[in-house]
Amino acid sequence: MPNAIEFTQSIVNGISVGLIYGLVGIGFCVIYNASGIVNFAQGVFVMLGGMVCQALLTSLGIPLILAVVLTIPLVALSGLLMEVAIVRPMMNRGATLFAIILATLAAQIMVERITLLTLGDRPRTYEEFTSGGPLKLGDVAIGYQLFWILGCGALLVLALWLFFTRTRSGRALRACSQNREAAQLLGIPVARMMLLAFGLSAALGAIAGILVTPTQYTAYNVGTPFGVNGFIAAIIGGFGRAGGALAGGLLLGVLQALAIVVLGAGFKNVAALSVLLLVLLLFPNGIFAGFGPNAKAH
Amino acid sequence: MPKFRLALAAAMAASMLSGPVRAEDSFKIGSSVGLTGYAAVVDRAWRDGMAVAAEALNEKGGILGRKIEIITEDNRSQPQDAVVGYRKMLSSDEVQIFDSGCVSAGNFAAAAFVMRAELPMYLCSILPKREEEQAWAFSFLPPPRFEVEPRYQYLKDKTDVRKVGLLYDPTPYALLMKGLAEELAANFGIEVVAQESYKADDADMSVQIGRINAAGAGAVIKIGQGGSTVTAAKNIRQLGLDKMILMSSNDDGSIFRQAGEVLGDRFLFVSPPVQLPKELKPGPRKEAVDAFLKYWSAKYPDRDAANGARAWDSMMVMAKAAEVANSVEGEAMRDATEKVPSHQGAYATYNFSKEHHVGITENPFLIGKFAGGELVLAQ
Repeated sequence: MPNAIEFTQSIVNGISVGLIYGLVGIGFCVIYNASGIVNFAQGVFVMLGGMVCQALLTSLGIPLILAVVLTIPLVALSGLLMEVAIVRPMMNRGATLFAIILATLAAQIMVERITLLTLGDRPRTYEEFTSGGPLKLGDVAIGYQLFWILGCGALLVLALWLFFTRTRSGRALRACSQNREAAQLLGIPVARMMLLAFGLSAALGAIAGILVTPTQYTAYNVGTPFGVNGFIAAIIGGFGRAGGALAGGLLLGVLQALAIVVLGAGFKNVAALSVLLLVLLLFPNGIFAGFGPNAKAH
Repeated sequence: MPKFRLALAAAMAASMLSGPVRAEDSFKIGSSVGLTGYAAVVDRAWRDGMAVAAEALNEKGGILGRKIEIITEDNRSQPQDAVVGYRKMLSSDEVQIFDSGCVSAGNFAAAAFVMRAELPMYLCSILPKREEEQAWAFSFLPPPRFEVEPRYQYLKDKTDVRKVGLLYDPTPYALLMKGLAEELAANFGIEVVAQESYKADDADMSVQIGRINAAGAGAVIKIGQGGSTVTAAKNIRQLGLDKMILMSSNDDGSIFRQAGEVLGDRFLFVSPPVQLPKELKPGPRKEAVDAFLKYWSAKYPDRDAANGARAWDSMMVMAKAAEVANSVEGEAMRDATEKVPSHQGAYATYNFSKEHHVGITENPFLIGKFAGGELVLAQ
C-alpha cells in the first residue's frame, strides 16, 4: 500500500501536469465559445511552443526571455493562419461544423508533418527556468519549474478573466459565445472575433508548451496526448468554461498520478477515462454546469 | 539501301531486346519502414543507412553487377499499412528481397505472404513467430539479453548498487527485455526491487521513479526507447534523487546527450561501438566502423549513426550472400545468407547460419556516458 509521502508526491506531480492540461483545455474553450468549433489541432500549439522556443534558444542562442517573447506571437500566428486558411473558407462555403472539426484534425497532422520535415524527428528539450532545486518539504520534492507553471498559470487565468470582463474585445468574444447571430446584429465583427479566438488559443497552447518542455521533452508528435488530455479537461470542467477547464485539468492530472500509485501506470488512462465517463453520467455538461440532463453548458 | 534497312532492323531488334535487359540490370530491394509514428526515429535512420550502403555498393558496381534500387514504403508504424506496402512492393514493384525496419507487428503481418512469394526478409525487428516464416527471415537486432547484461555487469564491477528498479515500456520487445532483466539479475548479485511501466508519451514519470526510489533501488534500468529517457532523467533531478543512476537502453545519440546533460555521470547507456568511434582500437571492428562513417558522416554529419549502421550492415551481408549464391534469386539468397561467413559490421559481428537467423550472436555493447560534450566509454 502506498504511503502518505507517495500520495503527496504524486499529487504535487499531478498538479504540475494538470495545470498544463488545464491551459490546453482553456484553449479549446476560447475557440469553442467564439465559433462552436472543437479545434482538435489544439495539441500542436503546445508542441510548437516547445519546439520553436527550443529552436530559438539553441539555433540562435538568444536568451530565454527573448525566445519566449518571440515564440508566443509566432505560434499565435500559426493559429491565425489556421483560421484564415482552413476554418473561415470552410465556414464561408457553408461547411458543417463536423466537417470543420475534421479539418482541424487534418490540420494537426499537417502541422506535425511540416514540423517533422523542417525541425527533424529528434526529441529536444531545454533547461528549467530556474536552475537548482528541488525544494524539499520533508520527503516531498517540488521542482522549481512547478512554481513557474503555477505562477504563470495563475497569471494567465487572471489575465484571461480581466480580458473577458474588462475589455471590449473580451466582452465581444463572450457575446459571440452566447449568441453569434445576435452578436452580429449588434455590430460585433464575429469573423474578427473568431480570428482573435484562434490567435489567443494558439498563444495559450504555446505558453503551455514553453512551460512544460523543461520538465520533459518536446518532439513533432507530443501534441496529441496534450490535446486529448486538454479536451478531457475541458469536458470535465464543462466545455466552454475557462475556469472549469483549468479545474478539470488539475483534477485529471492528479487523478492520473494517483492512479499510477494505486493501480499502476497501465491504468493511468483507464482511470482518467472512467472518471470522464462518471462525470458525463452525473454531470452531462461538466462538473461546473450542475446536475441533471437539463443543466446548461454556458 | 538494303544495307541501311538491314542496319535499321538490327538496331530495332537490339533496342527491343535492350528493354528487358535493362530491367534485369537493377536489383530491387523493398523496405517497409515506419517513417512516421512510434518507430520513426529508428526507421528513418534505417532507411538512410540502407541508402548510403546502396550508394557505396553501387559505386563498386552494385550487387553481382546489378545496380541497387531501393523501394521504400512508409507503414506509419502501423501493421495494416505495412501489409498494404508489402503487397504493393511485391506485386507492382516486383522487388527481389525485403530489408525492412523495426515495426515488428508489420513485418509479422506480412511474413506469411512474403514467405509464399519465396523472398527473403532482412529485418531490423525481431523474427516472426512461426517457424516456417522464420526460415525466410533474418534479424539484425541484438538479442534483448545483450542490452541487459552489460548494465548489470557495470553495476557489479564499478558501483555499490545492488538493488535496481525496472522502468519499462509495455511494448512486446521491451516486455521481453524486462523478463530477461528479472531473470538475469541474480547472476550478477543484483536484486530487482521494483518494476514500473510507463507509456512512451507520458509527460511525467516522477510517480514511477519515486516508487522505485522508495523500494530502495540505487539505479533505474530503463527498458524502452525515445524521448521518455530525457523525461526520466529530468524527473530524477526534479525529485532530488542525487545518487540515483539512470541506465538507458540503446537509443539515438541525441537522446543520450540530452539525458547526459541533465544527470551527468549518473546517466549511463548501452552503446554499440559505432556510437563511440573514438574509443575503438585499430582492427577489423574499427575498419568496419570507419568504412560506414565515411559515407554516413559525409551525408549526415550531425546524426547519430547507430541505427543507420545496422541497416548498412544488413546491406553488406546481402551483398555477400549474393556473392555466395552467385545469384539474386529468392531461394538462393535465403540459403546463401545462412552460409555467409562471419561478417564484421559497423554495428556488430553477424554470424548467420541455418540455426541462427538472429545474426548478432556476440554481445557488441559497451557502456557509455556523456562527458565533455561527447559520448564516451564509461570506465
